[in-house]
Amino acid sequence: MLRCCGVRVALDNTVEVETPELVRFRYRIAGPVRRALAYLVDLLIRVAVLAVLAILLSLAGLAGSGSMKGIMLLAAFVLEWGYYVGFETTGDGRTPGKRALALRVVKEGGFPIGFLDSVLRNLVRGADFLPVGYALGLVVMAADGRFRRLGDRVAGTLVIIEEEARVVAPLVLRPPPTAEELAAFPQRPPLTAWERETLELFLRRADLTEGRREELALTAAPVFAQRMSMWFKDPVRFLGLLHHRATSQTAAASPPVRPQLGAGRLV
Amino acid sequence: MMTQDEFVHARQGEWAELRALLDAQRVLHKLAPAHVSRAAALYRAVCRDLMRAQAAGYGPDVIVLLDGLAGRAHNALYDAPPYRLRAVWELLSAEFPRTLRRHARFFALGVALFVLPGVLGFAGAYRSRAFALRILPESSVEQLEESYATGFAGRNGDVDAGMAGFYVFNNVGIAFRCFATGVLFGVGSAFFLVYNGLVIGAVAGLVTAAGHGKNLLTFTCTHGAFELTAIVISATAGMVMGYALVETGGLTRTGSLRAKGRDVATLVLGAACMLLVAAVLEGFWSPSAAPAHVKWGTAILAYLFVATYLARAGRASASAPGPSVRTPVHASIQASRQDSSKVAPPRERRA
Repeated sequence: MLRCCGVRVALDNTVEVETPELVRFRYRIAGPVRRALAYLVDLLIRVAVLAVLAILLSLAGLAGSGSMKGIMLLAAFVLEWGYYVGFETTGDGRTPGKRALALRVVKEGGFPIGFLDSVLRNLVRGADFLPVGYALGLVVMAADGRFRRLGDRVAGTLVIIEEEARVVAPLVLRPPPTAEELAAFPQRPPLTAWERETLELFLRRADLTEGRREELALTAAPVFAQRMSMWFKDPVRFLGLLHHRATSQTAAASPPVRPQLGAGRLV
Repeated sequence: MMTQDEFVHARQGEWAELRALLDAQRVLHKLAPAHVSRAAALYRAVCRDLMRAQAAGYGPDVIVLLDGLAGRAHNALYDAPPYRLRAVWELLSAEFPRTLRRHARFFALGVALFVLPGVLGFAGAYRSRAFALRILPESSVEQLEESYATGFAGRNGDVDAGMAGFYVFNNVGIAFRCFATGVLFGVGSAFFLVYNGLVIGAVAGLVTAAGHGKNLLTFTCTHGAFELTAIVISATAGMVMGYALVETGGLTRTGSLRAKGRDVATLVLGAACMLLVAAVLEGFWSPSAAPAHVKWGTAILAYLFVATYLARAGRASASAPGPSVRTPVHASIQASRQDSSKVAPPRERRA
């Protein structure tokens, strides 16, 4: 979420949940592609179960009989309508496919889903599927800020991404900033937390070509330069220095932890 | 003020501890008591860390990590209310018929949307075969005439089992779709009702015109009590859902839909149970060799049972006299009934 002109605008696919403890945390919302992949995994599992059942029944000498047909159809029914409800209710909002893609179904308040919620969201699948291949569900998802299909709307559920995050190594500027480069910046650069976060995300991107990187930096650098009445030659370097200055000024309070990146080494 | 590195270094031990507890058990209340209180303390600590990290403007990686951890712990701490077998019994014995009576108007509309096209289909197909051919495909018309000419009496048990599976798969599937498409402002449910009414009417008309009406009726009369009623009920649930989108009562459309969620799910689950009964009857009793008058008798009993069940089950007056002789289980169910009737404003008139 970004604050823009005083209005909260969804920039990335997160949703904020406020708990009874008055803490707010964010969930990442799963998009259609990831959910479709999870659906495919589940579909393959269901088909495989039916195939194995068919082989077992044939080995039991029931091939072609009415009983076999009855059992197969009953199994197909249970797998079609009961698979999702069963796994989502007992498996904490995850079917095997969702587990494989690190997805989870939760209530809108961030709570685990109950039996009735799961029944609703999975029965309305029938409407999402219309006219073929979840076309309607896809359109409804695209029109919703939180990618909810019809079933999710009826049951009040969300599908979220739940991946283990790690703390990444601190960002290092190369070549190391010189003392005079840093001296050109104010002691405390006037950056908001959001701006600092945006700068960090930009500086961490490894997939950009040199030209593109410079092009993107040119859109942001003049804004900050003007704010601090500064000039710059290389916009990428400028943003790097700005971020370094903004984050290391907090380090100044605790000198022993961070090694001095100063003029001493250059001499 | 701490730098991010110091913060992470100081706190990551507890984060790992909480993660280990969450990995050990899906829901916290299944852990040993000491671990539960430890996990709760750690959850509060992580929430505090998250707020602190947000306020200090630490990097997005730390925030994402803490968001994820807090979210997981929150999920484990606030487990969903368990759904016990008792709840299934309460749903079938009281809640389902009661919910249906609350939405009696939509049920009546559903019956009309089903029966009128049914009568139309029957009359049309009875009078002209060409009419039936416009509704049903030709191949199935011939198949129908052939199969009902001989009747089903004494079909062997193996075929019965196969057909029972087919009825579950097909009929319950139809009912569920009948319900689901109701989310499109009720149009889907209405369409499927009219369509099924017309087709069933046409089949009956066609077979009767061919002179095998008795075979068809003795076959369908018993399970029809459950099956046709249940299809209309699931369509009723679909229409309740569709109407919630139109008449929102001041809520947003999605909010209004959700407010009806419990009623709708109750109706569909009830209908699904009725359809399972119907499938068993249709697979094993309906095609049996029992003489026609026995089948008529069971059909009358079945209709009486369904009607009494839907009209009377779960009424407070049914259990009013002599509360002293009731077992504790009954008493507690009664208590929960009274609770739920307090919560739901549109109470039944003849309570």
